[in-house]
Amino acid sequence: MSSCEQLFTCLQRRVQGVLAAAVVMIAVVQPAAAHIQAEAPWHAIAYAYRNTLFMLNLDPVDWGLIERMLTTDDGGRILGRPASDRLIELDQTAGTAHWQAIETALMAENAAALHAATTRALSSAIRQHLANAAAALEQPGLAGAEIDQAQALYRALADGIRETDPEGFRALGLAWLELASSVRQSGVIGDDGLPADREAFSSARALLASYLSQNFEPAAFAPRGRYEPIPEQRFLADPFAKMAPWLPPGSDINDQDPLPRLVLNFEEQGIDERDVFLVAFGDMLFDSPEIFGDPAKSLGLACSTCHNRSDANQRFYIGGISPHPGAIDVDGSFFNARFNDHRSDPLDIPSLRGLRFTAPYGRDGRFASLRDFTRNVIVNEFKGPEPSPLILDALIAYMLEFDFLPAPHLERDGRLKVTASEAAKRGEVLFTKAFPSMNGQSCASCHSPGSHFTDNHVHDIGSAGTGAASGFSGAFDTPTLLGTLHTAPYFHDGRFSTLAEVVAWKDETFGLGLDEAEKSDLTAYLQAVGEGADPYQIFDEEATPFRLMVEELSVFLSTLDTLIPERDREHADLLLRTVAGDMELDASAMSNRDARDKTLTLAERLWQLRDMVLREAWDEAVVAWKDYQEMADAYDSELR
Amino acid sequence: MPESTRRTIMKALGALALTAGIAPLRPAFAEDAGLTLAFIPQENPEKLLGDIEVITAYLSGRIGVPVQGFVTLDHAAAIEALRSGTADISFAGALPYVFAHEIFGAEILLAEVYRGSSTYTARLFVRKDSGIETLADLRGKTAAFADPISESGYLYPLDILASAGLLEPSADPHVFFREVYFAGGYQQAIQAVANGLVDVAGVSEFSDMLLTPAQQTDIRWVAESRPIPSHAVIARPSLDADLKSAFKQAMLDLNTPENRYLLKHVYGPDGYVLADHEAYREVTEIARRYGLLG
Repeated sequence: MSSCEQLFTCLQRRVQGVLAAAVVMIAVVQPAAAHIQAEAPWHAIAYAYRNTLFMLNLDPVDWGLIERMLTTDDGGRILGRPASDRLIELDQTAGTAHWQAIETALMAENAAALHAATTRALSSAIRQHLANAAAALEQPGLAGAEIDQAQALYRALADGIRETDPEGFRALGLAWLELASSVRQSGVIGDDGLPADREAFSSARALLASYLSQNFEPAAFAPRGRYEPIPEQRFLADPFAKMAPWLPPGSDINDQDPLPRLVLNFEEQGIDERDVFLVAFGDMLFDSPEIFGDPAKSLGLACSTCHNRSDANQRFYIGGISPHPGAIDVDGSFFNARFNDHRSDPLDIPSLRGLRFTAPYGRDGRFASLRDFTRNVIVNEFKGPEPSPLILDALIAYMLEFDFLPAPHLERDGRLKVTASEAAKRGEVLFTKAFPSMNGQSCASCHSPGSHFTDNHVHDIGSAGTGAASGFSGAFDTPTLLGTLHTAPYFHDGRFSTLAEVVAWKDETFGLGLDEAEKSDLTAYLQAVGEGADPYQIFDEEATPFRLMVEELSVFLSTLDTLIPERDREHADLLLRTVAGDMELDASAMSNRDARDKTLTLAERLWQLRDMVLREAWDEAVVAWKDYQEMADAYDSELR
Repeated sequence: MPESTRRTIMKALGALALTAGIAPLRPAFAEDAGLTLAFIPQENPEKLLGDIEVITAYLSGRIGVPVQGFVTLDHAAAIEALRSGTADISFAGALPYVFAHEIFGAEILLAEVYRGSSTYTARLFVRKDSGIETLADLRGKTAAFADPISESGYLYPLDILASAGLLEPSADPHVFFREVYFAGGYQQAIQAVANGLVDVAGVSEFSDMLLTPAQQTDIRWVAESRPIPSHAVIARPSLDADLKSAFKQAMLDLNTPENRYLLKHVYGPDGYVLADHEAYREVTEIARRYGLLG
């Protein structure tokens, strides 16, 4: 739900903009929910290392992808030169052969060897930068830059150390502080007067180097089934040690920017969501990671992460399981090993606008029933517990309210309005024209204008191309064309970035024989059909993203008016966990930062209320809920 | 301010030329034919290289002369580049600017605007579970600052303590804190607090936004400084008046809706305003009081 990502980004930029030195995010790959901040850029080696580990943990391992991760800029996600270039350079400087070891492991497709080689290479690179800093102590600026590089690489190990060896993490943290301090004694303007504190520098460096050598460059790594940056000594002490779920650098689970406008049918009819319990509760569930299991739950993924505002999240990206932003292979090994179909079959995330008109469900129409589809998402795709009937009913009640954006160029029956452009009108004629090469059918045969531009059937139109493994695996359901102007790219695999490209493909594939003008007209028609009125949420000084969040959470909480009197412990607990957790995370996005503690106080009250619910202290809960509402009302004007 | 640091800076004022080797060579066009901008490495230097490409292309188009930029190793190198003429214009914090102004007459052109203001503050951040409630509670604790020459990451946080009568302006902060670290930046300093490595961080008011949302719930601030004039864009003395004027106008044009997207390539402020030295006079005074300037 978090609609505050833009704020995060701009605040983050500002803070970076006033930093006294190069920003190196020592922070780790945080499972910070959908409220994740825009990441500070990663060092190429650290980026490639964490992605390599992530991909080594997938089943099956895509060795080609790992090789690209190590040797390219990952489609521009890595700034500057790829990891391979830098590792080769470091090898040349230090007389090591880490890159060769990596290449050998890659060629042999040996996961254990690649884990060992990349871990050693990363650790050794940190020590090399520390050595460079030591050699540059006469030039504090240069030494500082080398320490920054070393810290940027350490970032790839930091969360593994922090989570499994807190004492070690603390000692190393202090060593980094000592190190940074030791070269910054001499001020901004550079100096010949006072050298860096060599003694402090070398003792801190020695501590870091020793820990790194011991834990990330051992003579041999113990065998393991999962690859994570856990210090070897800790792993030897506890072979079951593991980190909280994490995503590889470059992943993006932030909201869309700009944020789509949500059109809900009951709102169009002037009904207050607070009056429709099932819908309000379903709205909460749609935003709740609590209905999923790990790793999705800990990562803060919810239905709304991919389908925020009922639309497709075109920026959603997880390295290794998303071929490009806006796509994901949900039935691989990452989210639920039991559900791993051992096929690389990622799909573009579809918009859910007009969901009640677009059965069957799934790009390949694998479920006729939305209820079956929803249960499958919760239990199989994202490893959640079996949902209660209320959970399924509420989610479906909410999703059935998703309306299409109003189509400004269409009549109710799907025909173009007379005010549409002449090109679009010519395109409409082509759209409904029967083509012999399509067995006498027209585009409109499947994308029926009178039925929301779909026929609710599954067809194999050859769009799977050579990707179809069998004669029956290339069939996909007919997508609606409504709203499509705002949901590029197109097709199940997102291969086309414009509607014009889609038209060109259809023309060529089906031998329609359209000339350029006709293709242009048909494109104009698709654009007219696909246009939605006011597709994006408008924010201003008053209507901020945080304000939107406050109002949504308030709607969610209104279901307590039903759940508490009904003494529904299970669902009240789920609601309170979701809202209190969301509120804490979203507090960081407030534009009125000085009132942040008030938001956190409200969240704390909700946690207390949850305790009462768990204890079934219902009388207490009634009072606490009333008190909460009074407090929320009192704070309301400051919550922005 | 530790005696050693004070002494060092005073010496540094006379030793600027020694850092000249750090700055890249000036691009090979004639002195009057263009502008060269020094970018301080406040963001990932490799990201900055991409930013420089975008912003210099814009400025070249607007000003009508070739504009080039380079990333300096640190503030020192940027100031030195201005002094030696290797750069014509540099981005700079308030404190480096007043040094450059006092030492060789660097001129302020523009100031950043953020959230409708051309000032910001420093804050002292602690962990909520630290038990630290008042400034006095900080005595004997460990502290992380950004850098010894940072207005919001050191000078103004010290001024908070001095204004509260807890520290003599010229005193070594070690008499108050058990340990003092210069972490290298706001990010590192505030992370040190969030991770429980130190008790307090003296950094920009916006630094907590560099933490994850979950970490942000663990910290609070106990005191705030007086307003600090925001980061500036400054010029070497005797830069051609027409060039200066054209540059200022081109930068001010970044405030227009059609150009706003370019602001993210110059450290991401909300915009720029014209600035004059008057607003930075207090920084000079505080720097003198703390022994940073003679």
